[in-house]
Amino acid sequence: MALFIAKRLLMALATVLVVAVLAFLLVHAMPGSPGAVSLGAGASQEAIDEVNQRLGWSDSLPVQFFRWLGAAVQGDFGISLIDGRSVSADLAGRLPVTASLAAGATVLSAVLGIALGVTAAVRGGVVDRIIGGVAGMAVALPAFWIGIIFVYLLAVQSPIFPATGYVPFEVSPRDWALSLALPVITLAVGGAAFIARQTRASMLEALQQEHIRTLRATATPTWKILYVHALRYASLPIVAGIALQFIQLFGGSVIAEQLFAMPGLGQAVQNSVSTHDAPSVQGVVVIATVVVVAVNLVLELATKFLDPKLRAS
Amino acid sequence: MIPNVAPAPADSPDPTSAALLPPAPARAGRRFSVAKLFTSPASTAGVIWLAAIVLASLTAPLWLPFKTEDQDFTAVLSGPSAAHWLGTDELGRDLLSRIFASAAGTLGTSMITVIVAVGLGTLLAMLAAAAGERVEAGISRVTEIMMSLPGTVIILAVIGAVGTNIPLVMAILGVLISAGIYRVMLGQAKSLQSQLYVDAAKVDGVSAVGISLRHVLPGLTNTIVVQAALIFAVGMLIQAGLAFIGFGPPIPEPSWGGMIQGASQHVYDAPWLMVPTGAVLALTVLAANAIGNALGKAPNATASHLPSAAARRQRAKAVAAIAAAAPTASSGEDEAGSKDTLSVRNLSVGVDSAGTGADTGNGVRLVTDVSFDVEPGTVLGLVGESGCGKTMTALSLLGLLPSGVSVTGGQILWNGRNLAAATDKDMEGIRGREIALISQEPMRALDPMFTVGYQLTAAIRRLRRTGRAETKAEALNLLEKVGIVDAARILTVYPHQISGGMAQRVAIALALSGRPRLLVADEPTTALDVTVQAEILSLLRSLAKETGMSVVMVTHDLGVVADLCDRVAVMYAGQIVENGRTDSILDNPRHPYTLALLAADPHATSAADMPERLATISGQVPQPKDWPTTCRFAARCQFAGSACMVPVPLVPSGTGEGLVRCVKADELAVEGLDWVATDVPTHRILDLVETRPAEARTTEIRTAHVEARPAERTAEKDPA
Repeated sequence: MALFIAKRLLMALATVLVVAVLAFLLVHAMPGSPGAVSLGAGASQEAIDEVNQRLGWSDSLPVQFFRWLGAAVQGDFGISLIDGRSVSADLAGRLPVTASLAAGATVLSAVLGIALGVTAAVRGGVVDRIIGGVAGMAVALPAFWIGIIFVYLLAVQSPIFPATGYVPFEVSPRDWALSLALPVITLAVGGAAFIARQTRASMLEALQQEHIRTLRATATPTWKILYVHALRYASLPIVAGIALQFIQLFGGSVIAEQLFAMPGLGQAVQNSVSTHDAPSVQGVVVIATVVVVAVNLVLELATKFLDPKLRAS
Repeated sequence: MIPNVAPAPADSPDPTSAALLPPAPARAGRRFSVAKLFTSPASTAGVIWLAAIVLASLTAPLWLPFKTEDQDFTAVLSGPSAAHWLGTDELGRDLLSRIFASAAGTLGTSMITVIVAVGLGTLLAMLAAAAGERVEAGISRVTEIMMSLPGTVIILAVIGAVGTNIPLVMAILGVLISAGIYRVMLGQAKSLQSQLYVDAAKVDGVSAVGISLRHVLPGLTNTIVVQAALIFAVGMLIQAGLAFIGFGPPIPEPSWGGMIQGASQHVYDAPWLMVPTGAVLALTVLAANAIGNALGKAPNATASHLPSAAARRQRAKAVAAIAAAAPTASSGEDEAGSKDTLSVRNLSVGVDSAGTGADTGNGVRLVTDVSFDVEPGTVLGLVGESGCGKTMTALSLLGLLPSGVSVTGGQILWNGRNLAAATDKDMEGIRGREIALISQEPMRALDPMFTVGYQLTAAIRRLRRTGRAETKAEALNLLEKVGIVDAARILTVYPHQISGGMAQRVAIALALSGRPRLLVADEPTTALDVTVQAEILSLLRSLAKETGMSVVMVTHDLGVVADLCDRVAVMYAGQIVENGRTDSILDNPRHPYTLALLAADPHATSAADMPERLATISGQVPQPKDWPTTCRFAARCQFAGSACMVPVPLVPSGTGEGLVRCVKADELAVEGLDWVATDVPTHRILDLVETRPAEARTTEIRTAHVEARPAERTAEKDPA
């Protein structure tokens, strides 16, 4: 088990490193030098050169990369070319927004998805077909479209939730929850449908296992076969599905943040890509990767812990 | 926004669960055929919609009523009207025209993602499958990293570098998605690569590339089409999402995501604007998903061991029908009510008819008209090849037939009750407490997720209502009773930590936990090593003697029968063909099938008169749907003749209370004929000289056809 964890940690580290290189190269392929981006149109060539010189733009790529990496490891992603603020400080303020969004959406997707998937597998017949149909629709509808419909129904027609904006938890927990409600629900529609399908398939597979027959032959009550034994067997692929879903929802927050005007990482990516703000793009790509990889690692270890064969070895 | 793994087809098991399962028989790949596209209504509708939208978008310049930039200021933000069928946007532009003018671009660029993702993923999978473990490990590592990346963020960074060059962005998206495709394809590519004919091709010197193209790729085609359809849908959604957040085609050019973004600005004053574009996008995605799901559905998935609530309701209805049809058996306690006697009368088991309707019994019949008795404390052997209905008969005694299969007629009388007409609730009171089950594969019969101790104590507490301490003591006691020495340790381990023989002992202990009066053992030794087999058999024999319970032993091994059984019922193709006391049947078999089984059994004869060549039964047990109304064994019988072409009843055989189902039984007994070891059976036909009716001749043609297969020592090894 220790060896397994060590291996996984190494893989996670490698992943982050690959992304760091990738982010660095992509940013260097962006049109416009940092000086040009920073000073904007109309700046003199001397001024631009002067800024580029100060930022070490003319150094060789490896030198620049390791200088950037060295600082990044200590949590310093440089200064935004657009507003001159520290990228790290900016991202630190944005991370909780996206984290609450993604975590909320993942939890809601998991709860709804497992409940619906188990119900579909256990009840069968018409119930199964209805859940399958609804899940199929939910997967096909784009999140931004669903989000707008929710805004129309739950913020415009009947003003239950605020249509846009984000209230930090420290300011008001109640308003924080209300401001998260619509974006979380919007993201969870597709997520729940995905997990419901995964859960249904895993439950059906669990019920095909021969030990289910042994349990019935020893008069195990049906509820216990379904919710203790079959669900336990199905839990491995379900947790793996939830891990995948988190990655997807973390990315999906770009759209939710745009739609609901939330100051999260997604908004930062979108802004910095539009404005060619190189340090910001690099920073947000690396931070997003670290979060996703870390959560994935935890969920993967959870999966392994759920499997007696791997736990014992 | 970007799925990091290709959405798996809804019914395929997740790869992570594979670790739990015993190695499944390698499933050869499935080839794509156009006909499969039209097997489900949803998929047919999907194909029609996609074809229509492609046609409409390609011909758009010819029929569109407006140019995309035409502005009609008299109808800004209008709903559907005669002039503008789908309404107009905030600048008075015609929605229908804009949707279809941008359709070709959307569909085309999504295809770029499909081609890159599926092409690269398939290529990598074939490479990994062909090039051996190290290459596979390397590629897998790389794809693992790709799959754990936040894809959306990376794609946005790419857009920052290359700009909104949609085709290039969609191609890079395809590269990211290819990791997921690789994961889906790898298992299949490997199983195709390990097929015997591939090995043969390798020996013949076909190059690795040749093998991949000729033998592996065709088997992957179905999955390729499935994944292509699903990725096509994903590509469209992502492209629309990018356009929605402002990374679509340059401004005046319409795009679906951009149009929805525009509509979202007017959700307060013109909500209709959301509908047309959203609907077209959603329907196109639905169409692609429908095609993918229809093709991806695994054919004949294994039946569930716990049918869904809906299936149970249906079965309850069928059971009620049987209860109504059967004569009131439960009242005749004096007739069949002697304690702990099992009487099976005219039992039939069948596959439920395909329609969900209540008319059960129209489906294929798996067991027909089976009757036998088991006296208290005796052992009955149910013998026959695979596919003869032995296991189905045995499982029906416990009401544990798999979903889709049910009792269609007859009675199972046990202690004065008809179990064939018992509800599932009633059966729950009987299973474990009165009738218990041991199954064929002990490793699969135990729940891999729970310790042996948990499973055993839960059963004891449930079936005996004992307290905690008492339960533990009883569990130890039971394990010692089945011959486990270090019982205390075994209680703490998981099933995968013990051997097959040990697992079968645990399974027997589990079956004994409710002190049953009847034990149904479904080939309890087939999956075990030969030395272990003998131990388990002698354990069963001593347990039966000790506890006085009766046993129904399903087996294909006549050695087991000779060893253990008081009576034997020989089954062939869903019928009992011979039935009687073990000694009289083994010494004096009357039915040709019994003769053949004995002649084919390497244990039955002593070493001295072991024949030079073991007899075989040519051909195979016919499929249930092919069972004739006449003698079902005739097609494989060395003694078959025209007299056999009639329905054959089970009649007293003349030896003791034995019964036999053969018109020639007496004739055979008089002549004292043996089943001979030959691949050419028909020369022994008794009435060779008779002129035969046409029906008999067709039977013979079928026999000859079966003979063309390599002769199998069918009775010796039962593959199921």
